[in-house]
Amino acid sequence: MVDDVSRLSDVLARDPASLVFVPLGEALRRQGQLDIALRVAVRGLERHPHLADGHDLLARIAVDRGELQRAFDEWDMVLRLADGHAGALRGMGFICFQQGRLDEAEQYLSAAAEASPGDEGLMQALANVRAVTVSDATAPVEPSSHDERFLFVGVLGDVDQTALLLDRDGLVLGGAYLDHEGNDVAQEVGAELSGVTDAARRATRHLELGDWSSIVFETEVAVVAMAPSPDDGLLVLATSRATPLGLVRRLLDRCAERAARWLGERAA
Amino acid sequence: MSSQFTPMLDGLTRQRGVRAALVASEQDGIVVDSSLQIGQSGDRVAALAASLYRKARLSARAAHLGAVSFMQLEAPMGRLCAVGAGPLVLIVVAHASANVGLIRVEMLRAAAELPALAGGSAA
Repeated sequence: MVDDVSRLSDVLARDPASLVFVPLGEALRRQGQLDIALRVAVRGLERHPHLADGHDLLARIAVDRGELQRAFDEWDMVLRLADGHAGALRGMGFICFQQGRLDEAEQYLSAAAEASPGDEGLMQALANVRAVTVSDATAPVEPSSHDERFLFVGVLGDVDQTALLLDRDGLVLGGAYLDHEGNDVAQEVGAELSGVTDAARRATRHLELGDWSSIVFETEVAVVAMAPSPDDGLLVLATSRATPLGLVRRLLDRCAERAARWLGERAA
Repeated sequence: MSSQFTPMLDGLTRQRGVRAALVASEQDGIVVDSSLQIGQSGDRVAALAASLYRKARLSARAAHLGAVSFMQLEAPMGRLCAVGAGPLVLIVVAHASANVGLIRVEMLRAAAELPALAGGSAA
């Protein structure tokens, strides 16, 4: 990927009007170089203000920077320039989900799925939203922003990502773990992962490696990352296999910060 | 004493930064063969690594995520990596500075050979 950035930078340097700023900005975003990616995107859009993919890039950078309203506005612009743009519909669905606007999230994701048939990630995202919508409609729970299942919604980067906080016994404290059909399998996953923190601690102690910081494993369809949390708890994050490992680590860090803050608030 | 796994394990321990390579039973963590640096206890490493790998595999099954391929535990002074192959799990202990991308590729390649090698041991 570093080679990609170097090669694409050379192309853009030779021809500043080139549309190569879009893949270059995306490569920089995936590396986590958000400030540079933003500069590349903004300069590119100065030359190509009506390029939908340029605004789509800017929106994705904004999401990574935590600027959800800016991202929503950019994707709104994308739809004005390219009606039915699947990436924009998906992104707007994601932001609505983040903000608890589940009906709108479902509408955007349904439209995205129609525009991009066969996209399994989108189908999973749609299933996740529908599962939460149905659950909210049938369960007499508090408003969604206070629902422990939504603990990590504000820090996750996409609707096909899911995170879960377990206590030392593998019992669910917060978050959700949605499978590809949108079923929350948090309790089952927690039960299987009971004792991971202790086993990891004993392994690193025996090997004199220092305190463990993360466990990452790859499956056929996902990357799962785990980190220790306060009071011998365990944080579990699952993302699609398409998510770059560097981004998985950043998401795990953000979820860990969110979990620590939330546990602190509960204890206070 | 060498076994049919020895050349594969020796190949892994020749990778820069690799401290130990073992083949163990996933179910009970018993060592099948190992290539260790002096002073390390393979039995305990295998038991703990196999236990972690088994938990990862069972949690992936509970979440309908499919088979687990590569797992790594990270700590400031090293990594513990594991790849499953049927009833066996291939384990590598490496320094933090080791090239984990290269180790991952070599482990996945070696794990693909494990069933055939294990079949040889049964014969």
